[in-house]
Amino acid sequence: MKRPRFLPRLGLRARITIAFAVGALLLSALLAASTWGFTRQNQLDQRSTSATTLAVANAENMAQGINAATPDLQELLQAQPRPTGAHPILLYEGDWYPADPSYGEDALPRELIEVVQGGDDARMRYTYDGEVYLAVGVKLDTDVDAAYFEVVSLEELEQTLETLGFSLIAAALVTTLCGAGLGWWAARRVLRPLNRVGAAAKDIARGDLATRVEASDDPDLAQLAESFNEMAAALEQRIERDTRFASNVSHELRSPLTTLSASITVLENHRDDMPERARAALDLMVADVNRFRQLIEDLLEISRFDAGVMHLDVYEVRVAELVMQAVGAATDADIPLDIDSELAGVVVEADKRRLMRVIANLIDNAAKYGGGATRVELRQVDDKVQIAVEDDGPGIPDEDRDRIFDRFSRGLSAADRRTSGGEGVGLGLSLVAEHIRLHKGRVFVEDRPDGRSGARFVVQLPAARGSASSNGNSAES
Amino acid sequence: MATRILTVEDDERIRTAVKLALEDEGWTVEESETGEEALAAFSRKAADVVLIDIMLPGLDGFEVCRRIRKDSDVPIVMVTARADTHDVVAGLEAGADDYLTKPFAPKELSARIRALLRRARASDPASPHLRFGDLEIIPDEGVVRRAGQEIHLTKTEFKLLVELASSPGRVFSREVLLERVWGYGYFGDGRLVDVHVRRLRTKVENDPANPQHVVTVRGLGYKLQA
Repeated sequence: MKRPRFLPRLGLRARITIAFAVGALLLSALLAASTWGFTRQNQLDQRSTSATTLAVANAENMAQGINAATPDLQELLQAQPRPTGAHPILLYEGDWYPADPSYGEDALPRELIEVVQGGDDARMRYTYDGEVYLAVGVKLDTDVDAAYFEVVSLEELEQTLETLGFSLIAAALVTTLCGAGLGWWAARRVLRPLNRVGAAAKDIARGDLATRVEASDDPDLAQLAESFNEMAAALEQRIERDTRFASNVSHELRSPLTTLSASITVLENHRDDMPERARAALDLMVADVNRFRQLIEDLLEISRFDAGVMHLDVYEVRVAELVMQAVGAATDADIPLDIDSELAGVVVEADKRRLMRVIANLIDNAAKYGGGATRVELRQVDDKVQIAVEDDGPGIPDEDRDRIFDRFSRGLSAADRRTSGGEGVGLGLSLVAEHIRLHKGRVFVEDRPDGRSGARFVVQLPAARGSASSNGNSAES
Repeated sequence: MATRILTVEDDERIRTAVKLALEDEGWTVEESETGEEALAAFSRKAADVVLIDIMLPGLDGFEVCRRIRKDSDVPIVMVTARADTHDVVAGLEAGADDYLTKPFAPKELSARIRALLRRARASDPASPHLRFGDLEIIPDEGVVRRAGQEIHLTKTEFKLLVELASSPGRVFSREVLLERVWGYGYFGDGRLVDVHVRRLRTKVENDPANPQHVVTVRGLGYKLQA
């Protein structure tokens, strides 16, 4: 059972990269958070302690000053040492004396005042007017009711902490990116041998059987390369043997077939001298020897493709003329030709003999399975020349449209085949496919464009280069 | 006099069957099993057409062809295993006039032979003297001279030259030449023309690599000029 998936499945490399990135993110976030927390606590404690120490010392000074004489409270207050951002305030007999007019009674939190008035020293961190402050309050040891307060701005510290926080977040992001990069690189390294094997397999599938994977020093990978190469070698050998076998068999059949052909011709020459029954037998033999000959020729051609020794005798061919000639040679039936007049002088680079076979095979195919070709079309489609052969038979079902070009596949049920007289050997269309592939073209089946039942085989050949002007020397018929 | 055909084929059954088929056409057939035997038979009594299988034990078909060609312009048909190997070109270069691939239909063989025989005998007595620079063609005598020197052409080469000369300056496509010289329809093998043109050039041109008379017209064919 497969789990339903809501996300597209990610590749191995993406997953490794993501895992590295998430790991780096978690780790760096944890580090950043704890660093920030400790630093903050530490700094605040330090600030509080130093502010408190100073405030207590100042309070003692103040108390002495007040006890010594009738003091000028303001002057006394100003005389106390204070770091920047510290604002002393004196509470003297119910009156407030701020050293800095903008930091008076209002700047102090009520709870702190109450605690101090109750007789205890206290300190408190709070927010006033949108900024963070630390206030320290000390009850003065005097005869009168007096208390000393100091309001210290923690804004600078907060800003420092904020900057530190940003730096840490940035560092965490960079670390995450580095983690992702590292993951990506590691995944690539790990996957590289797999990719190489994959590429080699693709080459082999494409027909380059000699492809091998480079041997590796890494013991973990060496085995992969080695077993892949062994497999490739075994496959190559096997295919070679099969190819050689098919080719040898066909070659061996050549000589007896030549003898058969010649002997049968002699018999045919003397057909009139034969008794009725012998004549009937001879006719059967003639038909089947011809079929046999065609089959061997096709098999030889196919084994040449397999052995990779096929080469095209390429000439510049006037395609319209070739189609006309090929259709005429392939059948006695009068098939309507629909040739684009623009193509009159257009040439393609082609092996004339093979292209003729292609057209002949398509027409044969239509005759055997489609009740005969009903139309042959030649036109230019983009930069390609397109030849189409149509019939009005049953057509080819979608699922058979690729398979029909396989060897010995007729794309028809056994019953249908019987009605076609059991002719045809199922190599015709595969030869078409191979020939067209050698011509760097394309062949496929489609429905008839007019919507009627029947198959339409289409061959597309590349790049009809500029048309060679005719000197009238081709008009020979 | 009956037409004599010399066949060289090492497979006895093929040899016999082909002999029977050709005899049915009314021709006299002389068989030989090896190249050496064939050369001996040919020097004893020349044939009208020679049919050579390329794959022979000992002296191979190419060599037999070359040796016969050395002092005879007899029409030669090569039998090759495959149409798409260089065997065909090599056979034609060795001097063969035409080729067949196994397994061939005897009717095809006799058609080829008849075409070759026609070529060997055909000479249009009314043809005029033709002159192309240093090249002189006398069709009714079957003679070609270059700078006054008579040169030896095979029947097919001669027919090819005369065909090109029939319309000086006109471009002949391979198809047309195949039909007029070899008697093939549209689907003859263009290599027949190409190799014969090459062979012709080695004989009629001063510099065959840089032909002055038999000129290739790319994508169209060949033409003859002065």
